[in-house]
Amino acid sequence: MIAYLIRHYIFTLIVLKNAQKQKTTALLENSQYQPTVSILIPARNEERVIGRLLQRMTELTYPKEKLQIIVIDDASTDETREIAEQYSKTHSCIEIIHRSEKEGGHGKASALNAGSKHANSEIIFCFDADYHPQGDILEKLTEVFANPKVGVVQGRITVLNEPQNIVTRLVALERIGGYRIDQQAREDLGLIPQFGGTVGGIRRSLLERLGGWDESILAEDTELTFRVYLAGFRVGYIYDAECYEEAVESWRAYWKQRYRWAKGHMQCAFKHSLRVLKSKNLRLREKIDGLLLLNVYFMPVLVLCSWIIGIPLFFLKSSQLLSILWASIPISLYSFVGNFAPFFEVGIGAYLDGRNRAQWLIPLLIFTFLYNILICTKALADLTISKILRRNTNHWTKTVHSGNGNSYIIN
Amino acid sequence: MKESELRADHLIFGIFAGTVISYMLSTSAYIGNESAFMLTLYNYLFVALTFPLNGRLTRKLCMLLIGNAIGLFWNYLFSSFAVTLIGYFGDSINTLYMVLNPFINLIWIVSFWSLTLTTLANSKSTSAG
Repeated sequence: MIAYLIRHYIFTLIVLKNAQKQKTTALLENSQYQPTVSILIPARNEERVIGRLLQRMTELTYPKEKLQIIVIDDASTDETREIAEQYSKTHSCIEIIHRSEKEGGHGKASALNAGSKHANSEIIFCFDADYHPQGDILEKLTEVFANPKVGVVQGRITVLNEPQNIVTRLVALERIGGYRIDQQAREDLGLIPQFGGTVGGIRRSLLERLGGWDESILAEDTELTFRVYLAGFRVGYIYDAECYEEAVESWRAYWKQRYRWAKGHMQCAFKHSLRVLKSKNLRLREKIDGLLLLNVYFMPVLVLCSWIIGIPLFFLKSSQLLSILWASIPISLYSFVGNFAPFFEVGIGAYLDGRNRAQWLIPLLIFTFLYNILICTKALADLTISKILRRNTNHWTKTVHSGNGNSYIIN
Repeated sequence: MKESELRADHLIFGIFAGTVISYMLSTSAYIGNESAFMLTLYNYLFVALTFPLNGRLTRKLCMLLIGNAIGLFWNYLFSSFAVTLIGYFGDSINTLYMVLNPFINLIWIVSFWSLTLTTLANSKSTSAG
């Protein structure tokens, strides 16, 4: 827990130190390298948002002759298919893949693998159906591929429907901590910026070499990140390549989404921790950061354990152990309030973004932290049971998008 | 020349000030161990998270002192409350107090830090404008 606290403090200081440099670099950079690009858009029952994204795709400033947009209709039962077909008729760069009820509904990784078979460009990008990218996002993201060591690129995710309610506001704060500080610091320090599975791209040759997305893991993005690093490539993070997402709007939807992330992340930890330690392609600092990143979802469970153990210790009058425990509680709280991006990381991120009013909500992140303790504990318990019983309990629970984000777009 | 967002000189001064205040608190006969521990934690967290930012040093020092005053009052209030409850319900309340104490302190520490951050950000935008 102390390691996480120190790590996040260093991250925060590094981003603060480089804040001016980042602004200058962003202004000076000029897109030169423009490879051919395929954009995969997996969509399952996304009729409320798919039209918005496809409209935006037609407005991208990237040369159209270098662009291939593939909508993967993952056995939708609503109007998703019809809306996508309308766009396909009027824009030659938009293609649609239909998956039958038997083929579809097995999760995002499965849909992406189906889509990538049709991709014929040098770089494959992924965008979720509820996203709204900047017009010049591809120019910003593709530029890093001029460096042959970069296998994957990730852009910044910002919440579109932030003013909607308290849940969306808190998710927006978490995103600020995660993308403004965490990812940026990892990029600056040469650690392991994470591929988020959306608003990012991968070299097609690398994806084929790695065998596509792993369909057996719920966090297919984190899993791919580690395979990329283990193969000797790195992930580039471009903080000013922004894309806006429709955040979950209720605590129930928040639970479902974070449960999937927690379980998937834990699966990755079991799969890759040892490989990261043994890898010859990773430097020591990358190994340390990789292990901390892989195991972060276990920390809320540890916090819960420390509270549960603390009470019997008190009655046993074991003062020495109790003191250690008593000190561990505030450290864990200060390390994790803010959902893995601690409160100070979120606060400094908001400060750098000039989001003064958003800072007032930081104390409320304690609720998301408590909620995440329950989510991560449930995820670990389910994963342990499924491992013991040797049962595959990977059920992809799709996040439902209401389309409320549409009203926040200013053209 | 562009101004950096990181003020190392302020941070060093802040660590010194935080150490002095924490030492005074921990050696005071009027302040309990739990309160002294929490205020020390606050001092170092506050210094580490606020002093490196742009803004006037005097403003940061004022906020550090105000935070200590709030923390003392807060801890006095809750420890009095706990003592009263222990008198009524017995020693088991003490366990609850011990476990909840970091939580209770987290509420004011994070809130006060957010407030300070807003104050510094506002002064930054005012001076920039």
